[in-house]
Amino acid sequence: MSQQINFGIDLGTTNSLIARFQNGTVEIFKNPFGQKETLPSVVAFRKDRIIVGDKARELIEKDPENVFSSFKRKMGTSESFFVPNTSDFKTPVELSAMVLRELRNFIYTGEKPDAVVITIPASFDTIQSNATKKAGNDAGFREVQLLQEPIAASLAFANKQVNAASLQGQWLVYDLGGGTFDVALVKIVDGEMRVTDHEGDNYLGGVDFDIAIIEKLVVPHLQQQGSYPDLLTELRSARGKYNTLYHILLKKAEEVKVQLSNSSSAEIEFEIDEQDIYLTITREQFESVIYNTIQYSVDLVKKILDRNHLTAADIIEVVMIGGSTYIPLVKQLVTTQLGIPVNCSVDPTTAVATGAAWYAGTRSVSTPESPEKRQHSGAPLNIHFKTAYQKNTADKEEYFTAIVTGPVAGLSYRIVRADGGYDSGIKPLQERISEMLLLAENTNNQFNILVFDTAHHEIDADTPVISITQGKFNIHGQPLPNDICIEIDDLENNTTKLELIFEKNAILPLRKTIIKEVMKNILRAGQDSLLINVVEGSRYAVPGSCVPLGMIEIKSTDLLTDLVKGSDVEITLQISESRDLSVKAILLMNEQEFSEVFNPQVRQINIGKLKDDIRQLYQKAAAKMKSFKNRQQYELAAAVQQIQEDLNQVSSRIDRISDDDVTDEKYQLEEKKRKLAQQLDSTGKDQQILEITEQYFKRKEYCLQTIREQEDDSRIARFEKIITDESNYLSSQSYYTIKAKIDELDDLGWEIRRNKPETWINAYYYYASVTTDDYTDPQKAARFKDAGEKALERKNYDELKVVVNQLYHLLPDTKEGDQLKGTGIG
Amino acid sequence: MDPLLTLHIRIINQVFELDKKTAAKPELLSLQRNIDRIKQHFEEAGYTILNPLGETYRETRVDYEASITGEMSSEMEIVNVIKPVVYFTAGGQKSILQKGVVIAAAK
Repeated sequence: MSQQINFGIDLGTTNSLIARFQNGTVEIFKNPFGQKETLPSVVAFRKDRIIVGDKARELIEKDPENVFSSFKRKMGTSESFFVPNTSDFKTPVELSAMVLRELRNFIYTGEKPDAVVITIPASFDTIQSNATKKAGNDAGFREVQLLQEPIAASLAFANKQVNAASLQGQWLVYDLGGGTFDVALVKIVDGEMRVTDHEGDNYLGGVDFDIAIIEKLVVPHLQQQGSYPDLLTELRSARGKYNTLYHILLKKAEEVKVQLSNSSSAEIEFEIDEQDIYLTITREQFESVIYNTIQYSVDLVKKILDRNHLTAADIIEVVMIGGSTYIPLVKQLVTTQLGIPVNCSVDPTTAVATGAAWYAGTRSVSTPESPEKRQHSGAPLNIHFKTAYQKNTADKEEYFTAIVTGPVAGLSYRIVRADGGYDSGIKPLQERISEMLLLAENTNNQFNILVFDTAHHEIDADTPVISITQGKFNIHGQPLPNDICIEIDDLENNTTKLELIFEKNAILPLRKTIIKEVMKNILRAGQDSLLINVVEGSRYAVPGSCVPLGMIEIKSTDLLTDLVKGSDVEITLQISESRDLSVKAILLMNEQEFSEVFNPQVRQINIGKLKDDIRQLYQKAAAKMKSFKNRQQYELAAAVQQIQEDLNQVSSRIDRISDDDVTDEKYQLEEKKRKLAQQLDSTGKDQQILEITEQYFKRKEYCLQTIREQEDDSRIARFEKIITDESNYLSSQSYYTIKAKIDELDDLGWEIRRNKPETWINAYYYYASVTTDDYTDPQKAARFKDAGEKALERKNYDELKVVVNQLYHLLPDTKEGDQLKGTGIG
Repeated sequence: MDPLLTLHIRIINQVFELDKKTAAKPELLSLQRNIDRIKQHFEEAGYTILNPLGETYRETRVDYEASITGEMSSEMEIVNVIKPVVYFTAGGQKSILQKGVVIAAAK
């Protein structure tokens, strides 16, 4: 059975790409390190490792003796490069093979192709072509088929067209890349696509345009603005005063160039001698500085036409490829000066690789590998790693070492981090290997060891996964012994509850910012205050039972303006390694800031808050006692009564404390209150959990019924998501956790019900049944009831909705008589 | 790339620029809180934004692309960050969304 090659490689002078044809489409593979489609064709030889691609490119200018690029230009020559770092010689074929091997790593599917199509420039002669083939073989491709770049590009364009088979005549392929320019004349001869002539310049490309922006626009602008003696030299020289700036400008100029392809102007912004420079560059300015270069490329095209005695009418179109053809001036000059339509329908960066893959999809592997051989090459290698490293660490890098047993001679290895942030480069495998692994912070880092044979084929070896946790569970770091929470209002239950800020076992130091809403109006003339109370204890406990760590009280008299209900307060909590708690609150309405650092040894007690806590506890106790008595649980009721008596005692002792009391009594009373709160919380807690659990099941059933009536799959999926960890939260023994789930289910059900007329009809009948005199404004209520009747008659349910909302707001606040002082935030 | 992620990256880069400016200019300090808040919103949405400024330059660190200024040295540090490193976590899988663009120089 014939097997297609499918894999195509654009082995470029500057950048290389790999693509695969499958089921009628082409996929360009991305570099697992950084997810870029292009791999710079650069190889760096460091003292102990080989680096290929982006990281190697970083070192080109600084270590040119050991870093090699543009070696494609030397393919097929007898030239070889001496590498001082390894005291070794490398040929262009060997360097190209390294790039090709690196591209193999882009194949995330696990496939290990042994045949490939590699593209070559139209100018390559037989020796250069054979050299490319050898590089392919050396990189582990048993079979290499070559394809000329202009043909590959043409295929990519042709396959984009609806009727590719109708491709006729001749056309030009204009390829202006990052560093090279090529143009080729292509035509169909005897049913076969052929390159009949070509021209090019190996030192012309996008980088020249970036440099033109700096040297012809930015530098003159700076020289107009101030005195910068010998600016260009200071920028370009490695020891120059502005060499760092030059590198910054190169990156910024590239961005400007890209922006100017779509906009008429772009801004470049940088700092020189602590002075901010903003420079607007128009497309017109940019075009004026690159005009001559583009003109030169067009002249090369004209040269081909003249040489072949062709006119514009003989050429169907100019196919544009290479990243620099995005520049509008390029398209414009080619069109106007040549009078030939341009075709830009394919991504110019990936066109050659795409075409190579299309071609590979049509080519069969001439000699498929025998199954026996495949089985042999797939057998795991008898190599074992005995590793040593610290599994938990606070450091940003960790030393890894391993003893390797088995036949390691000639093999190499590479360690990579699963998130793509670290790559050791390729290193020779020895009996002992070591590496400094860079870690991502506050997470578990997984590293894989890849082993390669002498031809750099990845081989199946029994390699361990290296797993290092940074920060999180560090044995040296201090974990929090308890949850840290803030107390917020729970208006529904007329009490306060806890909101988790830092979880138990989180490693210090910690910092978090949250936004909360102000739950009541606080007038400057009034007596109210806002409390930010930070406590330590289980997030599921009642606030009063937790240890207070620090509290900021924002009194009405502290305010610059009245504070309006619904405005936001931004709270930042920070706990240092020495356990100092910093609390900063900013009232976003008036930008007022309050902050305090609490030392846990100095406990802050607010008498007003203590009184309110006692009052709340007393009310809660009364409610519990009533409930127990109703259920004839007299033992529990008696226990609660005892708590109430104790609370009374504490309360009367608090009343006797003066504002400037210097004794320990308030601390003792606070401690006593906390114990009583814990006692009250645990008394009959089982009953409370049972009740909320019963309520949960009822609401869950109701919600499900509502969703099923609608037959809405997306809402069923959301329902499933809400209840996904049901057994966990039901066994949490936490009232608020179960309550939160009930609220989520209610919200989901309400989304459906609020769109149903009967919801509003039923609600209206309820409010209509309330005696008019019971509303806070009976006259208004009567008017709305009247409007509701009319809306019902007309079946105008939008109007009915408004009426229901208005009547709701006219009902008296039943909680008024027993208003929660609370914290004022929620 | 998903157009929404591309948009987010653009916003993150602008917020990063703002962050750099406020850090350098005390008169802009009042903006810092809002900037931190935007960054926090992105972090809550699964983005990890890293600023490697001042860190030792490592050639094994592949989540940034560095331009080396001045003379090469065995001890180099990141002296300028033009674009931050951005990771994105989705479905428990963390991967690089944007490589950082940095300038490295001898310490």
